[in-house]
Amino acid sequence: MKTNNKLLVLFAMMALLLIVTACSNSANGEETESTEKTDTTDASSSSQDDSTDNSTGKTEAVFWHAMSGAGQESLEQIVHNFNESQDKYTITPEFQGSYEEALTKFRSVGGTNDAPAIIQTFEVGTKYMIDSGFIQPVQTFIDEEGYDVSKLEKNILNYYTVDDKLYSMPFNSSTPVMLYNKDAFKEVGLDPEKAPQTFAEIKEAAEKLTKKNGGATERYGFSILNYGWFFEELVATQGGMYVNNENGRSDNATEATFNGEEGLRVFEMINDMNKAGTYGNFGSNWDDIRAAFQTGKTAMYLDSSAGVANTIETAPFDVGVAYIPYSEEAERHGVIIGGASLWMSKGINEEKQKAAWEFMKYLQTPESQAKWHVDTGYFAINPAAYEEDLVKEKWEKYPELKVTVEQLQATKPSPATQGALISVFPESRQQVVTSMENLLQGTDPQEALDRAAKETNRVMEQAARANQ
Amino acid sequence: MKSQVELNGMLDNVVKKKKGIWQQSLNWRTALLYLLPSLILFSVFLFYPMGKTLYLSFFLTDRQGEANVFVGLENYLYLLESEAFLKSIKATILFVLYTVPTGIIISLFLALLANEKLKGIGFFRTIFASTMGISVAASSVVWLFLFHPSVGFLNKIIASLGGQGVDWLLDPKWALLSVSITTIWMNIGFTFLIILGGIQNIDEHLYESAKIDGAGYFYQLRRITIPMLSPTLFFVITVSLINAFQTFGQVDILTQGGPSESTNLIVYSIYREAFVNYQFGTASAQSIFLFLCILVVTILQFKFGEKKVHYQ
Repeated sequence: MKTNNKLLVLFAMMALLLIVTACSNSANGEETESTEKTDTTDASSSSQDDSTDNSTGKTEAVFWHAMSGAGQESLEQIVHNFNESQDKYTITPEFQGSYEEALTKFRSVGGTNDAPAIIQTFEVGTKYMIDSGFIQPVQTFIDEEGYDVSKLEKNILNYYTVDDKLYSMPFNSSTPVMLYNKDAFKEVGLDPEKAPQTFAEIKEAAEKLTKKNGGATERYGFSILNYGWFFEELVATQGGMYVNNENGRSDNATEATFNGEEGLRVFEMINDMNKAGTYGNFGSNWDDIRAAFQTGKTAMYLDSSAGVANTIETAPFDVGVAYIPYSEEAERHGVIIGGASLWMSKGINEEKQKAAWEFMKYLQTPESQAKWHVDTGYFAINPAAYEEDLVKEKWEKYPELKVTVEQLQATKPSPATQGALISVFPESRQQVVTSMENLLQGTDPQEALDRAAKETNRVMEQAARANQ
Repeated sequence: MKSQVELNGMLDNVVKKKKGIWQQSLNWRTALLYLLPSLILFSVFLFYPMGKTLYLSFFLTDRQGEANVFVGLENYLYLLESEAFLKSIKATILFVLYTVPTGIIISLFLALLANEKLKGIGFFRTIFASTMGISVAASSVVWLFLFHPSVGFLNKIIASLGGQGVDWLLDPKWALLSVSITTIWMNIGFTFLIILGGIQNIDEHLYESAKIDGAGYFYQLRRITIPMLSPTLFFVITVSLINAFQTFGQVDILTQGGPSESTNLIVYSIYREAFVNYQFGTASAQSIFLFLCILVVTILQFKFGEKKVHYQ
């Protein structure tokens, strides 16, 4: 009996231990599986590779996207409209999880027949996609057909244009803006129609807006989400570069430069306010900082232009929208585009590529863009959409939305506002977030920035080595 | 007759010598045959991926995730001097220390309560075990709202009592503790149920005899319940330890490893390295490290912990 029990427990332990190893290994399990898949697809899918559906004679192209919620609904309607609008192609939208998840899946099928015809990838994945060799630059189709891209928003195209080639079709684009509580402004005697615009003005206003009750702070003056994007934007609006070689656009970036004076000014501003107790830290979750604003815990914060309409609608007070602040020691350059774009797969059936291209063109029509802009708050890639009645109605209701478009159109094109191109952007962003958090815990601004820059340099160097 | 037996014996000896190894390994071969199905399954799903992990840990991987540049032990050496990884180990160890003993003591306490034969005790048993039925994601989201910086319930209670709210998930000093509280709450259901089962399996006669001898409640607890429960406790401790080392879901939903990497537990760090940063080499090295950690802990436990276990 004794040994029996002992054996049982031992077996249970062993089984568990094996499960443990299974879990910690799943990463590579998937990896190997995918490479195998890549090997076999050529043979197995050649028979179905002609995806032309014989019964209807339509070409089907799969579209991987990462839009959930309102974005997904709107996107599916637009796809439906496209499928109805002509009888040659069918686009099948497939939700693949977050941008990161979709990209991870794409890595395993990219370059094969199983790859989707279109994949939506976030802006910081641009460099990776270009280098991957899995994609066909949309410029090929633009040249072939003489498609006129000049009608599209120049400042958005700039981001996705590398070496004078438009690699992907911009789709959902947003920029950061500063939102502020007009009622709180009135309460403390600030002009609610004139938002503070330089770092010094922000500090001053935040001082006034902060409301303390005993030891607890009831309302902070200013907040930024702990998310790398906002830091990048605050550096770019001063004309600062994130990495060397013209932000990685003239040649592959080899060194981070965001720890220069522009980056330091941003960190010092945060540090000064944090020390003065006027800076609210609400973590790295978008919903948390929005809730903080809605409940009056912070009077000013930075948000994505795509979230503006919703915030105005739900806030129990008057919301003001302003350009993001810049340092008084620098000139205002404007903002970098954020969001995602659509990429076309290489190595798939030509008919499918044609279908994808037709769909991409359809997306740029003023009607589609107007619907997209109104439903989601993302920019219209085609400014003609702003003349559509749908948009005019919405703008009448929320005149603040115009500020977001004006900020984008006032942006001066330069490598700084074009945005950095590095293949290890997601990791670099994490490092910046960690540094921001360290800063809020009292680390010296320069030291915190240098740490993030050092880590970014290391991963860039490693990526260069690994992909030689 | 006798000679016949002798002859047979001699023959046997000759045969034994001739077929020695083949014959002797008969048991071994039979065992192997029985184990074959599981060995095949394990090879496909465990041994092969494990070997592959080990292999990848010596390489840098390219954009397709293929091993590309052989770097020998560089990935491991980097980990050992990487501040982030050391932080992650420290956080993992602290997390294990916070969650395992506390969780088991609370569950043991609840199980002892629920073992009393009272009216309606079934209701409490269900309640105490109920967290077992809630998924990690669901319970993390619930706690996310409790910890919420501006509308969180916990801070509201503290404020109504006149205290000052705590930055549960935003302050590096509190974040790991907050994740631990969530984890303890989530694990209580399972540990409670196993321990309660163990308690109910203890022979009633032992208690009756003790009562006749005049032993009090705590004496019985110390001398009967705990020793008789030791195999169950041993099992629960081992499972909880392994679970704690593997924690992922809570971290992903509550903190994403932040703030200042204070909750970047090792499995989360592996995930991030592999699927956000696409560094399969360093991620594999970390996996191997985690595997060794758990192996060592489990061996140590069997070596020392099991001596205290009393099997019937």
